[in-house]
Amino acid sequence: MSQAPYGAPTKKDLVKIHDYLWEIPKLFRSDMRVPARIYASEKMLDLLFKDRSLWQLVNLTTLPGVHKYAFVMPDVHEGYGAPVGGVFANRLDDGIISPGSIGYDVNCGVRLLRTKARYGEIKDRIPRFMDELFREVPSGVGQGGRLKLSTKELDGVLEKGARWAIEKGFGLERDVVYCESNGRLENADPSFVSEHAKNRGRDQLGTIGAGNHFVEIQRVDEIFDQDDAKALGLFVVGQMTILIHCGSRGLGHQVATDYIKLMMQAMPKYKISIVDRELACAPFNSPEGKKYFNAMAAAANFAWANRHLIMHEVRQAWKTVFGEQYTSPELVYDAAHNIGKFEEYDGVKVIVHRKGATRAFPPGHSEIPEDYSKSCGQPVFIPGSMGTASYVLVGVEQTMKEAFGSSCHGAGRVMSRTKAKQIVRGDTLKEQLEKQGISVRSGSMAGLAEEAPLAYKDVETVVDVVHNAGIAKKVVRLKPVGVMKG
Amino acid sequence: MNQPAPFEILGHTADLRLYVTGHTLEELFRNALKGMASVIKPGIEGKSSKREIEIHSEDTTALLVDFLNEALYLSNVHKEVYTDASFRSMSEVTLEGELSGAPVSEFDEDIKAVTYHEAEIAQNTDGYYEVTLVFDI
Repeated sequence: MSQAPYGAPTKKDLVKIHDYLWEIPKLFRSDMRVPARIYASEKMLDLLFKDRSLWQLVNLTTLPGVHKYAFVMPDVHEGYGAPVGGVFANRLDDGIISPGSIGYDVNCGVRLLRTKARYGEIKDRIPRFMDELFREVPSGVGQGGRLKLSTKELDGVLEKGARWAIEKGFGLERDVVYCESNGRLENADPSFVSEHAKNRGRDQLGTIGAGNHFVEIQRVDEIFDQDDAKALGLFVVGQMTILIHCGSRGLGHQVATDYIKLMMQAMPKYKISIVDRELACAPFNSPEGKKYFNAMAAAANFAWANRHLIMHEVRQAWKTVFGEQYTSPELVYDAAHNIGKFEEYDGVKVIVHRKGATRAFPPGHSEIPEDYSKSCGQPVFIPGSMGTASYVLVGVEQTMKEAFGSSCHGAGRVMSRTKAKQIVRGDTLKEQLEKQGISVRSGSMAGLAEEAPLAYKDVETVVDVVHNAGIAKKVVRLKPVGVMKG
Repeated sequence: MNQPAPFEILGHTADLRLYVTGHTLEELFRNALKGMASVIKPGIEGKSSKREIEIHSEDTTALLVDFLNEALYLSNVHKEVYTDASFRSMSEVTLEGELSGAPVSEFDEDIKAVTYHEAEIAQNTDGYYEVTLVFDI
């Protein structure tokens, strides 16, 4: 891990707010406009000072129009520009929008499907299901999908998101209701997405790519809140679920690349100076800011269509293996964790930047499906490292008051990919996971080693922090029985 | 004085750092391209694939990042890995030239983008140009 640069906080700079929340006061650095906050247990703090996460967090507080404070979730790790696990909100009237603080994988996100099958009933057929899944869902670096879209068709995807997939016969009408923003940001404008971005995404719809993206089949391992679990259709221990994690593929990466460059060029015009070029930004109300916001929305729509197609592929694999024995897997919810959203807090209109953080709206919120609004609130899915566990949480009122309606997004890396590959062999890891009863399918053994569990924090400690801090509530724990990676 | 390695892959919590050196700016750019190729798909030889490239940027560091991002784009779209470049013209903020490499059936690593994070081309005390780049994986 790299050394902390000048202007990085140390443990003595933290002020304790409560057992799970810490603050770096505004006075810590003269360029801070607001304080910085950290959701973490005392035990986790030492780890946070081992990389540049908190220096990157402080840098976020220097951006124009930043509202109230910037903060990081307990799964935070060093990113580039903004830390991964970072959240901040910028006022619409005098604030900026920053592509690097939303991330290269625009609308990377997670969707959970539930089934009516029980582990004991299908245990023996899981390896076959994994084979079928590996055949149905294209994966791997640079791997194209079954569709190669013309620019006109692609523009339809960028405008309509998940709705495009439904119109083409991939998925059911009810599915869009269970996606954040109904799987479509209406401000999307394909004309602000470059030819480069379109060319990169043209054949990638319905593919998971590589890195930490996956499709996983799991069993409900423990239910912490019976009523909320029931509201999400998760009824008993042993019930099977399927989790999909991926984003906007090359198209989203190129949108971020294009607009970071554009904003670097525009910053002198708006007299914005930043600590790190990767935080390049423009006023939200500037032509550059608006163009990016609409291009980012188009890339987000591509990601929703992508996860919709992958869900369709998962359903095809399910049907092939289980036939009519069980109904098709149903969508519980789809939540983004790299996105910029127009929201309102304390009567102030803001753009919330969530980079490696999930929106987590509470019961009663008008932007979540009606049945969840009346019962449990918005579900949030926290995938753990491969072979450990994933959690289902729900949003609570407190997050609206103090965390811009947000929660964490994963376990959070602690070890570099290069080091993980030095320590772990992919084939040995596969063998160990298989012994634990987890079927693994991966096109790349090196890619598998990079994602070894030892490279991540313990997901349980991460989830316990947001639960104990009162910004989300634990509902269900899921254990993997099959993992497919690129 | 020992000549430094043209490039070296360093760790980063989630992504990847590449340290690059060169006697000249041109060599620095070529070595960075070679370093990136060694991440995407190690061991590629051959120059059968040629692609024209033209970049304009704000400064020399941005020119390097933009150059690599353009190579990454071409690599993704054409399923090729570029291991070298020749430059017809190169200033501190513009370049024109040709990438050369070979087609591949698959890549080993998915670089989402080359970032500007903490990138700053500098001349060290031995007169070499050096830069550390962070790749988003």
